[in-house]
Amino acid sequence: MQPELAANRTTEIDPPLALRGISKRFPGVVALEAVDLVLARGKIHALMGENGAGKSTLIKIMAGVYGKDAGTIRIDGQYVTLRSPRDALAQGIKVVFQEIALIPEFTVAENIFLERHPVDRAGSIDWPRIRADAAALFARIGFPVDTKARTGDLPVSQQQMVEIARALAHEARIVVMDEPTSSLTPTEVELLFKVIRRLTGLGIAVVYVTHKLDEVFEIADEVTVLRDGRHISTRPIGEHTHDSLIQHMIGRRIENLFPRSRSHAKGAVTLAVKNLSTKAKLHDVSFEARAGEVLGFFGLMGAGRTELAKAIVGYDPISSGTIEVDGTPLKPHDTRTGVRLGIGLLTEDRKGEGLMLDLPVQQNMSLAALGSFSRGGFVDEASERTAVQSFVDRFRVRTPSLAQLIKNLSGGNQQKVLLARWLMRGLKVIVVDEPTRGIDVGAKSEIFALLDRLAGDGLAIVMMTSEMPELLGLADRIAVLAEGRMTAMFDRDQATQEAILNAAIA
Amino acid sequence: MPPSLDVPAVAAAPSAVSTMLRGLFRRSEIALLISLLVVIAFFALASDTFFTTRNLANVLGQSALALTAGIGVAIVFISGEVDVSVGSIVAAVAIPLVTVMNATGSLALGMASALALGFVVGSFNGYLAAYLGINSLIVTLGTLFILRGGVYLYTGQTAIPDDVMLESFFQIGNGRLLGVIPYPALIAFALLVAFAYLMRHRPFGRQVYATGGNPEVARLAGYNVRRLKFTCFVISGLLATVAGIMLASRLGSAVHVAGLGFEFQVVAAVVLGGISLAGGRGSLLGMALGVLILSFLSNGLGMLDLATEWQLVITGGIIIAAVAFDELKRRRI
Repeated sequence: MQPELAANRTTEIDPPLALRGISKRFPGVVALEAVDLVLARGKIHALMGENGAGKSTLIKIMAGVYGKDAGTIRIDGQYVTLRSPRDALAQGIKVVFQEIALIPEFTVAENIFLERHPVDRAGSIDWPRIRADAAALFARIGFPVDTKARTGDLPVSQQQMVEIARALAHEARIVVMDEPTSSLTPTEVELLFKVIRRLTGLGIAVVYVTHKLDEVFEIADEVTVLRDGRHISTRPIGEHTHDSLIQHMIGRRIENLFPRSRSHAKGAVTLAVKNLSTKAKLHDVSFEARAGEVLGFFGLMGAGRTELAKAIVGYDPISSGTIEVDGTPLKPHDTRTGVRLGIGLLTEDRKGEGLMLDLPVQQNMSLAALGSFSRGGFVDEASERTAVQSFVDRFRVRTPSLAQLIKNLSGGNQQKVLLARWLMRGLKVIVVDEPTRGIDVGAKSEIFALLDRLAGDGLAIVMMTSEMPELLGLADRIAVLAEGRMTAMFDRDQATQEAILNAAIA
Repeated sequence: MPPSLDVPAVAAAPSAVSTMLRGLFRRSEIALLISLLVVIAFFALASDTFFTTRNLANVLGQSALALTAGIGVAIVFISGEVDVSVGSIVAAVAIPLVTVMNATGSLALGMASALALGFVVGSFNGYLAAYLGINSLIVTLGTLFILRGGVYLYTGQTAIPDDVMLESFFQIGNGRLLGVIPYPALIAFALLVAFAYLMRHRPFGRQVYATGGNPEVARLAGYNVRRLKFTCFVISGLLATVAGIMLASRLGSAVHVAGLGFEFQVVAAVVLGGISLAGGRGSLLGMALGVLILSFLSNGLGMLDLATEWQLVITGGIIIAAVAFDELKRRRI
């Protein structure tokens, strides 16, 4: 502890950071409702919750990225307003996001002093001082990083250290780590933990955001659990067991929000995946999906859901294993064969990979099936319009006209258009990745009803989701992914939230 | 600290030999320097008249315009934007320069009015691109046409002669230090050193690099990204004006077709010099080497009596090859 801080009486009484009654609303969603979080000097406070619990929103408020709608923030007892990340840093709060905020072309040393380059009396940047100070900071956290290295050349684990050093450079007294281990090897995790403990030794209060239970038990002093934007509990880690923590995270929710119309009658195996591995994430994943069923894949952030979705439709390379659609093998990158065999992906990234935002509904929907409307090399617009209109009617896409730009539609209606794009082409298997992301509650159940009906019509649906209710509501079978491996497969009737989350955290 | 053209932000310590070698390999400036020496050596062997003091000094003088304007264009590129308006700025600023000189007999007033116009054009580009967020290629392409059209309208498709014939004005473009080194080359070199220092050793320069490298990170670090970009466009407008003043001096008048196609010459040199269109990468030293390579190439090919048509084909091929090489090398690393 620094002497001048010790002399200041208030720091011993007041917590370094106290958030009280924080609320945040986004259009149509309450992201946080009266949440409290109080940190202690030199302690590690874990922040836990399922996806959508409000963890990200809360730390973005701490980082000054979002403003709050209600509540107070106090640092050492003083009320503060955090207007920007720079402002938050000036007040002593540094958030290390998963998406690391460094300039890849700059050296490690320069990145640490990105906010303000130290200058000499003439106003020139003092490079020797930058290098020396950077090296000293790394010595303080006990993790040597080559300060002359180009930052973009370093692995994520070392870039995190650069961010931590940057926090120290600004004398941050609160460091927030957002899912820091999601792309780290076990050895790197050990090193990170050492550094984090070292931070606490410097009197820094650490917020550790994670969904990994074993990490929390290893490193945290206290745990706050959020669920659906609400504060559920704050307890010393010693008062928690594995089960109690899971219980707090999932609570008791109404199941079957989306009653199904289908019976469990299943058809032939349509998609067969055997021993699938990819370089980056997936290890030895095998499963089959049958016509007329919804196979749900659950996984927490970083479990490999999107990677699996892209691999099985042939978008991304695989390192070993086989994918067969109706007995015909599908090679990676061969999206033409994929389309011919009848497998399609409803992407989680609608804006980036799905929609052509500045084109009308009609062109967006007919894209994959254009070949079937062409006569002599020209698109027969009349038959295209007829086909598009029939899907708009069937799926009840709410749009003023087929000429409406797709970006003006709601998320739910955009999703219907994308779904129609594939079905117009004729599909046997559709892989849907987070089908309700960014879609409001009312439209969600419509999407579910639609998926349910499509399964009833004999389509095999593979659904990737991190949302428990949609999994339990829609899936006939439930597979669980953790760290790129399949850790469990349940029939709908045997699956419980506890069992699923246990398998996902393993 | 003495102004330095030395590019690395962090000088390699003698002990870290491997770091230094890796640094050298990645630095495209080394490859550019070798290419320049190869070009010079080739023409020195192939032609008797190429490797003479007089010819080499002439090439330096000719490259001074592209070098001066290239500094500004390079800075705009580094900030993540594009500026192709310099060809018309060069022609447009000569009009206030010559007319004000003719009216007042003052070089200083003439240059001040030229710089004022350059400032206005740079601000216009910068305001539309940085503050209104309009694509800078489109904005500066528009400016390129508007200014050229304006020049034609104002001059009636002819040149405005310099009537007062000030010696000081004549010297800017035509004088030589010790009778050898053309003043424009000296001016360009001085500007290059000053701006290389700015980009390497002043916070402003590093903030421009950061903005081009990742605008979101720069914004989160508290930079005023818009103002930074705006300033880059203004710098580019002013430096193009300096090039325009040197050209007007050489031509002895404001010529309506001056600088036609100049913007492409400059952009080609900037890109050849390893400055990424995506922003955040490259150095002014690299840009300068790019200008020199293209200048010596064009001069040497001319001496070999190779038709201009072939010079264009060869230059184009070299630019594509250089950028492709750079890109492939980067992917490997």
